[in-house]
Amino acid sequence: MKELADFAVGYAGELGAEYAEARFQNDLKNMYLLVNGKPEVGRFVRSSGIGIRVLIDGGMSFLSINKPDKELLKKRVKEAVKIARSSVKTMKKPIRLSPEKTSKKEWEAKAKIPFKDVSLKEKVGLLFDIDNAVSSPREVGIKIASRYFYFLEYEIEKYFLNSEGTEVSSFLPKIMFYGLLTASEPQKGTEQDRIGKGESRGWEAVKEWDLVNHAAEKAKTLGRILKTAKEAPKGRLDIVLGSEVVGLMMHESAGHPYEADRIMGREAAQAGESFITRDMIGQKIGPETVTVVDDPTVEHSFGYYLYDDEGVPARRRYLIEGGVINEFLHNRETAFEMGVKSNGAARAEFFDREPIVRMASTFMLPGDHTFEELIEDVKQGVFMNTFGEWNIDDRRYNMRFIGRECYLIEKGNLRSMVRRPILEITTPGFFGSIDALDKNLKYEGAICGKSDPAQGAPVWHGGPNVRVKDVKLGGVE
Amino acid sequence: METDEMSQFLVNEGLRLGADEIIAVATNKTLRQIRFGNNEITITKTWDEVVAEVLLEKDKTVLTATMTDTSRGSIRETLRDLIAMTKVMKPHEDYSPLPEGPFRYREIPRLYDKRISTLEEKSVDYVIAAINSATESGANRSAGTLLVEDSVSKLTSSRNAEGNRKKTTINLSIRSLADGESSGVGITCGTNLDDFNPEKAGEEAGGLAKMSLRAESGKLGRYNVVFSRVANAVLFDIVAGMNSAFYVGAGISCFIEKLGEKVASDRIALYDDAQVTGGVGSTPFDDEGNPTGRTTIIENGVLKTHLHNSLTAKKYKTKSTANATRTRLYRTWMPLPWNVLVKEGEHSDEELLEEVKNGLFVNNITYVRFQDYRKGDFSGIIRDGLFKIENGELTSPVKGLRLSDNILHLLQNATALSKDAVQINHWWMEFDTPSVWTPLVSARNIGFTVATK
Repeated sequence: MKELADFAVGYAGELGAEYAEARFQNDLKNMYLLVNGKPEVGRFVRSSGIGIRVLIDGGMSFLSINKPDKELLKKRVKEAVKIARSSVKTMKKPIRLSPEKTSKKEWEAKAKIPFKDVSLKEKVGLLFDIDNAVSSPREVGIKIASRYFYFLEYEIEKYFLNSEGTEVSSFLPKIMFYGLLTASEPQKGTEQDRIGKGESRGWEAVKEWDLVNHAAEKAKTLGRILKTAKEAPKGRLDIVLGSEVVGLMMHESAGHPYEADRIMGREAAQAGESFITRDMIGQKIGPETVTVVDDPTVEHSFGYYLYDDEGVPARRRYLIEGGVINEFLHNRETAFEMGVKSNGAARAEFFDREPIVRMASTFMLPGDHTFEELIEDVKQGVFMNTFGEWNIDDRRYNMRFIGRECYLIEKGNLRSMVRRPILEITTPGFFGSIDALDKNLKYEGAICGKSDPAQGAPVWHGGPNVRVKDVKLGGVE
Repeated sequence: METDEMSQFLVNEGLRLGADEIIAVATNKTLRQIRFGNNEITITKTWDEVVAEVLLEKDKTVLTATMTDTSRGSIRETLRDLIAMTKVMKPHEDYSPLPEGPFRYREIPRLYDKRISTLEEKSVDYVIAAINSATESGANRSAGTLLVEDSVSKLTSSRNAEGNRKKTTINLSIRSLADGESSGVGITCGTNLDDFNPEKAGEEAGGLAKMSLRAESGKLGRYNVVFSRVANAVLFDIVAGMNSAFYVGAGISCFIEKLGEKVASDRIALYDDAQVTGGVGSTPFDDEGNPTGRTTIIENGVLKTHLHNSLTAKKYKTKSTANATRTRLYRTWMPLPWNVLVKEGEHSDEELLEEVKNGLFVNNITYVRFQDYRKGDFSGIIRDGLFKIENGELTSPVKGLRLSDNILHLLQNATALSKDAVQINHWWMEFDTPSVWTPLVSARNIGFTVATK
């Protein structure tokens, strides 16, 4: 199939394409699932094929093929050229790509413990160990009525080339764990919490996650919420947001709205647009202490890569620097449109998906407070360590987080747990209310969905614990 | 290999390598998509894919695999891997033999339209028609997708099930904006070109966007509401999806231990029907080879059944409802809906608004997230049209409200339905239901919240 990728780029050029690229991608994915202590149907994916993009007269076409059929490939490339030309009649100005240096590179993330070296017995056995750890009400103090755990291991091999001479080959192992626990207590109802882990390395990551103890702690916390949490306060107060909450806020409110394709309206139909406009570069959005980056090069991160799916080298992107809107996430199309260079944010999930603008690891840089210092200055407030429900509108302006593990703060001290405080706030309202950050940077692994057909991109998001002043907790009666 | 040969090869090889039972679905498909934004085509796409999927059982251990590398060598290697895995994985507690064939499958009318399979660059004209129609109706700019699929599938099982499915689908979704915030949406879909109307979808999107101009901020509170067909597609995908016996068993559902109970108002009836003419999700057989049909999920507000495949049916000591579906990356083998049908009421759309008299009209919902699946507490983003209903008419647009309620509360508070159901294939479907046929639904006392800073 790699030979067909080479052929496709050359053939598109013969047909007059001003730019062509091909990406051979071979994916292996294994999923092991345990539901309520019982193994569910194991799930395995073996995916292999080529995705090709052709730019001609300013019109862009994408095609994919997974059978080694040269004649079909020629037919489809011809059609792609024809339909791209046909689409130009709708366009006010042609699509162009930012000029970038060509690269010839091979890179990989090495697994210390490759997945194939770990027996299935050990992988599934660990799921049973986790399940056992949360199943005993005597040990964790609560009945965990539903338990849902899975591992998803990936191996992704890519070979990219384009008509400008770039050739990049890569190999990337990834591992993900997801857990959903539902605790129930008579007369108190239920509480659910999830565990999301993901890294770009081998089974050694799982060994470091300490999932058995982590899951047991989650279960115990759910029990304490159900048994001891009081009604959450409403009205104006100070809130300390835990790293888990801050991390997802960075993804939703600083990552997505800075995606240049959203800003340009290319994703308006589904994912949506952005309250950020291209002329907002340089505008202040938060205090000087706030810097938010997106960085694909963080070692072991779930969204790790060194070259993006347009063959552009990856680098750290400073989305907000010192409280000022600094740069957007770009692929080559949006970069040309905005007169800048691509910062290597083009990602495609499978061989049959076009590369689009995506995040990798989005996080707020830590500050200089200790956690205790964040708390001790609060007279009346809430510490929202984790969240349950969340969402944000498609312009990434109006967000909502409902707390899961939360505590009342009184006169600088953490007091009783409170149940489900609701923070509903605008993105500028949130950044404008940030008062202090602590030193403790933590990350979570997740899958980010975007576009149509939807593409799930493995990402990290993270941040320190953050204090926001004078915000209002609410909700409908 | 063609699909017939491939599915037979998968079954033969699986058995030869030691499987007790195996079912294979081989699909050859071509998909074409046009994406557009700011009234311009941003990219055109064509996918040619051969996909082989198997469910393999050995010693009561059950595994599935999806393969897009469908060379004989690769298939053989994957099957060998699966067989090796069955030796170390534990048996499925609810193991049940695959359905015993042969079966006779009912032919679904109009499931394949040759005109769709040969559209090629003519599809650009549909996109232009939708954009122009939206612009004429008040849109400043429009974005969306046109997706056309042409597929041939062959199912073969080691228990004598054998089925062929040839199917086309066409789906256009257009979202129009009259300014940065004022938006509307239009959707048209089906399996046959006669059911496809891009101009009408554009007109709806553009008209709603124009109506949404100069919206005023909404106020937190509870309102009587009319949910549009697009909004209902999202809500009833959740209701039907949460009735997958898999999700009920996994605790990801608010319908646990509710069979036979009143879960909705008397007016609500909900079906899953894989045989609907023109249904985007229609199929003569499920992925275990069972002949499909119509399943009553809710009738007169009472929960009648969950959706089942063979494994969940065994667990719940009932029969499969023929909802076994092929798996997706983040899902395993499980029952899911095909076409969800919300039973129509007796009102015209106008009469429904008159009956509500004063309240809100919600046109679209996305980004639904649950605080607690078991309880059903959720919130969702409202977009593409939110209007006041005053004296039975849509009046001024509203912005900034979030739907914040509970799925069971919403079902129980449904007050009336309009009489014309329309098929919606929505981008945001939490449970991947291919299509929901729904009228307007009114409900009382529904919660809405706002940002506080």
